[in-house]
Amino acid sequence: MNDIFIDVDYSQIYKHDQKIGGDVFLLSRNPDNNQIVCTLSDGLGSGVKANVLASLTAHMAHKLSFSPINLTHSAKIIMNTLPVCKERKISYSTFTIADIRFPSRDDIEVQLVEYDNPQALHFAGAEPLEWSRNLIDLQREGAFKKEILSQSQFRLAVGDRLVMFTDGVTQSGLGRSLPLGWRLDGARRFIKGQIEANANVSSRDLSRAIVRKAYALDGLVSQDDITCVVVYVRRPRRAVIVTGPPFTQEKDEVLGEKLKAFEGRKIISGGTTAQIVSRLFGKRIKVDMHSWSPDVPPCSTMDGVDLVTEGMLTLSKVATVLEKKIPTSELPDDAVRRFVDILLDSDQVHFIVGTKINEAHQDPSIPVEIGIRRTIIGRIRTALEQNYLKETSLEYL
Amino acid sequence: MNKKKKVEVKICVGTACFVQGGADLLLYNDFLDPEVLSGCEIEGSSCLDSCKNAKAEVADVDSKPPFVSINGKIYGSVNQDRFCKLLEEAVNA
Ligand code: FES
Repeated sequence: MNDIFIDVDYSQIYKHDQKIGGDVFLLSRNPDNNQIVCTLSDGLGSGVKANVLASLTAHMAHKLSFSPINLTHSAKIIMNTLPVCKERKISYSTFTIADIRFPSRDDIEVQLVEYDNPQALHFAGAEPLEWSRNLIDLQREGAFKKEILSQSQFRLAVGDRLVMFTDGVTQSGLGRSLPLGWRLDGARRFIKGQIEANANVSSRDLSRAIVRKAYALDGLVSQDDITCVVVYVRRPRRAVIVTGPPFTQEKDEVLGEKLKAFEGRKIISGGTTAQIVSRLFGKRIKVDMHSWSPDVPPCSTMDGVDLVTEGMLTLSKVATVLEKKIPTSELPDDAVRRFVDILLDSDQVHFIVGTKINEAHQDPSIPVEIGIRRTIIGRIRTALEQNYLKETSLEYL
Repeated sequence: MNKKKKVEVKICVGTACFVQGGADLLLYNDFLDPEVLSGCEIEGSSCLDSCKNAKAEVADVDSKPPFVSINGKIYGSVNQDRFCKLLEEAVNA
């Protein structure tokens, strides 16, 4: 598993009365070569025409940044390809491309290409950083104005953020609440304040806060499409699920060591497993007699572990909840809800599955499903990966 | 109220017991006589280990789940009625 997690998200509000955006954001992650490409494009004008321009631009920029073609050349290709507006004889759309590569965990490099969008901002924690940009004059034939492309590269460390937006953000409030609009300075100050108030704010929440603020400056009647993208590099939030006693008793110690050494939240699922850990850690299991529902046994607490639950019944219910994407707010306050809450609050989930056959379950009166720990864990993993885009891993003991 | 030591009760909430009637016992607040209830200290156990070996020292002919431990003694096939009786006896002993 990766030791860094790159949290990318964006928010958008369309120009007032428009049903389609002239700002287009594209994101792709290529896990094989550790690359993330974000493209934000703003088409001239608004509505459908702008959307077509921006989509074309974003898609081309995107494709090109995965190819070996140099960026300046790519930019020219894009400009030459865009359809030309009949009346104004211009084809125009602005863009920002951030090509993020991370060959190793301490080395995250950003290639940033900006064309006519407001400048992107880089924050280390809450501190805005400056960096130098190379300006490239495209000198394209038939260009209707001087076209300057800005290109730069820099590194992102853990705790850093890259914030990109369209001019709907920087020009918000223009001529209304603010004579000159919010401008880059205003946005920068706002973002700094947001991060200071909540150092771990997610990309989703931060981008949303910025867009909402711009919308408010516009007096809740957006003057343009307002779009903001945030890239946030952080340590992944992790959880480990330990379920089932190890195949042989000698492995119990190994289980205890692994659980102790794990950095992140810890769940033990299964009575026997809990007893093994309780014995190894010398900690008492205390059953919480209130947190149960008719098909989910009560959960328990143990020092050093975040949640202790019963095994099979709870796990299979957890699998169903994740598969059906049932929001936890609709669940009773039982072990399943607490279990799912921890899973959804993590980026990476590791399963340690003990392979000893549990004698108790050989009773024919218990549903067949219960015997199949592996199948249930498989269902949980698939649901986490496909429905919630989590990273999961598994080891047998 | 007398200062008699409370009866120590453990209801098994492990998988085998829970699905075979243990869940009903968790409603003890609803079906137990409040007087009996006040004489008991009721806890849960994640497994009393009786489900695993039939030859466990179960103080009972029929050693099937759900299991309950009363003052350290394990009883099997406990339903609500039986639970009431067992606890009544233990409290008045
Ligand atoms: S599950 Fe009740 S004794 Fe094991």
